[in-house]
Amino acid sequence: MKVFIVDLARCNGCYCCQIACKDEHVGNDWSPYAKPQPDTGQFWLGITERVHGHVPHVRVSYVPYLCHHCDDAPCIEGCKAEAILKRPDGLVIIDPEKCVGCKLCADTCPHNAIFFNEQLNLAQKCTGCAHLLDSDPEEWTVPRCVDQCPTEALRFGEEEDFADFIAAAEPYRPHIATKSRVYYQSLPKKFVAGTLYDPDRQEVIIGATCTLKDAESGEVFTETTNNFGDFWFKGLKDDRTYTLALEKDGFQQVIESVRTDIDRGLGDIAMAMAG
Amino acid sequence: MKPVKTKDKTVLRSLGLGGYFGGGAEGMVDVKNGKIVRVRPMRYGWKYDKKEVRQWKMERNGKTIEPTWKSLPGPFSLAYKKRVYSPNRVPYPMKRVDWDPKGERNTQNRGKSKFVRISWDEAATLIADEIKRVHEKYGHNAILMQGDGHGECKTINTPHGHPGVLLEYLGGFTLQVRNPDSWEGWYWGAKHVWGQGAQGIMYPAANIVKDTIEHADMVLFWGCDPETTPWGFVGQFASRLCYYLSEVGIKQVYICPDCNYGAAIHADKWIPVLPNTDAALQLAIIYMWLTEGTYDKEYVATHTVGMDKVADYVLGKEDAIPKTPEWASAKCGVPVWTIKALAREFGTKTTSIAHYFGGGFIRGPFAHEPARLECILLGMQGLGGPGVHQHQWTYFGLPRAEGLGGTFFWNPDIEERLALPVLSAVAAWQEQVIPKTLIQNAILSDEPIKFRGTGAQNALTADQFVEYTYPIEPEKKGSQIHMIWADSPCRITCWNYGHETELALRSPKIEFFVAQHPWFENDCLYADIVLPANTYMEVDDIVTNIRQGTMQPNIMITEKAIEPIGESKSDAECVREVAKKFPGMEEQMTDGKTIADLQKAIWGYMGGEKLVSWEQLKEKGYWIYSTAENWEDDPPGFRQFYLDPEKHKLNTPTGKLEFYSEALAKAYPGDKERGAIPRWVEKSHNHDERLSSHRAKMFPLLIMSNHGRWRVHAQCDDITWTRETPTMKVTGPDGYKYEPCWLHPTEAEKRGIKNGDIVKLFNERGVVLAGAYITERLRPGVAYIDHGARHDPIKTGEIERGGAINTITPGAVTSENCVGQIGGGYLVEVQRVTGEEMERWRREYPEAFARKYDPAAGLRVDAWIVDGGDK
Repeated sequence: MKVFIVDLARCNGCYCCQIACKDEHVGNDWSPYAKPQPDTGQFWLGITERVHGHVPHVRVSYVPYLCHHCDDAPCIEGCKAEAILKRPDGLVIIDPEKCVGCKLCADTCPHNAIFFNEQLNLAQKCTGCAHLLDSDPEEWTVPRCVDQCPTEALRFGEEEDFADFIAAAEPYRPHIATKSRVYYQSLPKKFVAGTLYDPDRQEVIIGATCTLKDAESGEVFTETTNNFGDFWFKGLKDDRTYTLALEKDGFQQVIESVRTDIDRGLGDIAMAMAG
Repeated sequence: MKPVKTKDKTVLRSLGLGGYFGGGAEGMVDVKNGKIVRVRPMRYGWKYDKKEVRQWKMERNGKTIEPTWKSLPGPFSLAYKKRVYSPNRVPYPMKRVDWDPKGERNTQNRGKSKFVRISWDEAATLIADEIKRVHEKYGHNAILMQGDGHGECKTINTPHGHPGVLLEYLGGFTLQVRNPDSWEGWYWGAKHVWGQGAQGIMYPAANIVKDTIEHADMVLFWGCDPETTPWGFVGQFASRLCYYLSEVGIKQVYICPDCNYGAAIHADKWIPVLPNTDAALQLAIIYMWLTEGTYDKEYVATHTVGMDKVADYVLGKEDAIPKTPEWASAKCGVPVWTIKALAREFGTKTTSIAHYFGGGFIRGPFAHEPARLECILLGMQGLGGPGVHQHQWTYFGLPRAEGLGGTFFWNPDIEERLALPVLSAVAAWQEQVIPKTLIQNAILSDEPIKFRGTGAQNALTADQFVEYTYPIEPEKKGSQIHMIWADSPCRITCWNYGHETELALRSPKIEFFVAQHPWFENDCLYADIVLPANTYMEVDDIVTNIRQGTMQPNIMITEKAIEPIGESKSDAECVREVAKKFPGMEEQMTDGKTIADLQKAIWGYMGGEKLVSWEQLKEKGYWIYSTAENWEDDPPGFRQFYLDPEKHKLNTPTGKLEFYSEALAKAYPGDKERGAIPRWVEKSHNHDERLSSHRAKMFPLLIMSNHGRWRVHAQCDDITWTRETPTMKVTGPDGYKYEPCWLHPTEAEKRGIKNGDIVKLFNERGVVLAGAYITERLRPGVAYIDHGARHDPIKTGEIERGGAINTITPGAVTSENCVGQIGGGYLVEVQRVTGEEMERWRREYPEAFARKYDPAAGLRVDAWIVDGGDK
């Protein structure tokens, strides 16, 4: 059974997956697998791009989203025309011949991965480029989005070949219990970062102990400022409220109510080292 | 399920867009029923076993990096189908409707009046007649040929310079000399410190990738974006190399106004510096090193000249201003404590500096100053020693391939006939020349213009001490220009002060302007005749993917993928159509050789018989170089100079790193912009573009402008798929896709600007519309907008809707004696465009708003064709 593997620690945000998908499916009719995708506006594989933090502590995340080829696919279940099928290799395909254009699947897909093609009156989505895998197996063992990925952030293959990755994969929308065949690692998490400096000496403070404490859960994280006076707490959970304590040589600075509703780039933080 | 036919055939392409001969970012193009069905990475193992090719490998901390067995093209390369089938393709030869060579030429209507379809024969006759008329009336130097710049990778049909071949055979012409537009500072500055280099960039640069991997603790990505500019040349190996640095623990510090695409994912530290103030930051670093003694004094004593003069300046002995971190902080916007921390890290850790052209560092006013200071910084830390290099990240310094000759512009011994087109992009090979930065001055001024150095890419340092005049003397057949033949022109959107270019192109002095290009864009709007050139998909050719840092060099025969679109012809064929109107000329130009003959000849010039038989190359379609067996023996960068500066001198006058240039001191004693040592230049008679200027009261933001993430200069602005990404275009409330203008939230708030608003960037030179993109990826005090968006005039010479920011760059060159261009680091203001203002423009310039527009692809040629297209 096939799976998609998404390692976001290696995604450089080039959008080539999104574009290769379009290159394969826009203007090309791969019936009976899929009719052409509209030129714009639909993303059988799309990227969600987000900017995190504040100058100068900023990162950008890119998360590819696509059909999860669920084993318990609500679209298959709900399709009155019996147009959606689960292949033995795990891929879920909407048969363009059978689809009657009722839009139900597009409206109810919990992953928002099904699009409606108004012009053709068809529901459409990622096919895993099954037309390539089936028709030209010598040339094609992976779909277009995966074939072009310059960093191997996006991979595709047999479930057992990715057992280690899958075992360590992070729950992605765990409330959607549809047995997804797309596995993610390194999904964006919140960070709290800053640069600590001594306003009198106009120097960064190196080696300061930075403690982030979650009063509610009791969790405590510790970092040490680096040679730029920077600290980065990474991998924090959403919507927690922390107390940040910064300490060096007996001097201390405490920042209350650092909330991870968004990533927090706290900028340059002055901590007097005298008096 | 029933299998389908996925393709009829596969052909190979170099999907890079760097132009000249040679390419990279290879791809496979699948064709079915005469149409391109897909464009995909090239599998190097398509016809070869991996065992047949010796690949390189580098290692640190037990982790290795090696070339991938598949190419890594960028997004616009994979989407190139959209470019080929763009609604903006020139469909047939076109003539401006009110240009009459026998009557009124109506040059004032260029960029305004529409076009009619004419036949190839009519077009060729009109052009040939104009050439003859101009030759007779003014002489051959009255024709300006603009045939340079970036474009598709082809050899026989290379997109630039073919008109020059015909004009050369007809007696010569005036050549537009392309300046080093992406690396001005090094060209005009660094050459005087470390010698010629590769157009000013550190060279020799063999094996610096390996050496940096093995020895560096830190790489400063100073004003460059490894996740943007390499794409257009060789694809995304640079990205993999950045990930590898992280894996092996080499720190990556980004110094740039924007959290650019590389910084956004790779940076261990982002230091947001104000545009074009890097020189202040660099001087403060030198100050720290001098005062704390953290530089290689022994190296400086034996390898450099002029440290004392630089030290006097930096410590304030020369001008009573010590260049302290406090002094620098006020200029460059980096906190004092961060400047000190950077200086200490750089001073104690083995550090290389990386660039990949463009960016905010090297294209501003006085760009030679940060370039020279960079050489001094590296020199003070033992340049050439283990892990201390200047990189154009992967462009130079990858392992040497077996049997590969030169990798500059073409391989050795390529026959002149074939080299001529590309010669126009790199050499000032005609008697009368005009630097590209001064074209409009040449047109608009009646006085002769003088310049020091042509700016030609392959000119030697000595050329910067030669004074040139345009026009040359009448006895040498000098003449003002009265006709222009341009191919793939994009001066308006890629060079300096495009608004002035627009007005110059309307000058009655230019009696005829012919352009050839696959797409109707930019300068083509101002042409009298436009010839439909075609794309690399539509011609047979041969490409050597060896230049610009390809990780896996190769040669490929690029068989035509599809038949030419419309009535288009290759750039070479376009010129040949005109040549047919001159008896015997076509034969003289081609020597009777077919494309197949030329493919074989080029294989020969590559030293082909020593590499791969012609039969094998033909049969397999490509051939892959092995890495040279002894590649690891090539000394990295300046290593030999580092080890023995007396035996291995640099090609500077003293043979050493010249922190102080006696040559500049003697030649230009009064030069306050580029003196004998590099300095901080607050302003000059040429440029007053600092936040300290009185002009900043009106225009309080500095422009940061890079080569586009989604374009290669002006190329690829019409790809519907890249235009859907959040940073390619911003859809305005009026449905028009505007070029994004990044602003920090604080700057936006001050101006009442919201995300997605239509805004105007402006200064004394004009107005450019854009779409607001409010982001923490840019520091305050700056407006970011990439150059290269397609020109869409609301009012020619004044108001630009397409976002072509270079329409309002400074007209003045880099500095008095340096004919470089300014691509960023100048003052503007940004304001929200009110509904009233837009309405007023709609009323005053209705034709600009009535032009057909395709929201997905943008501008389209039918907007410029008189209904039906026929006369």
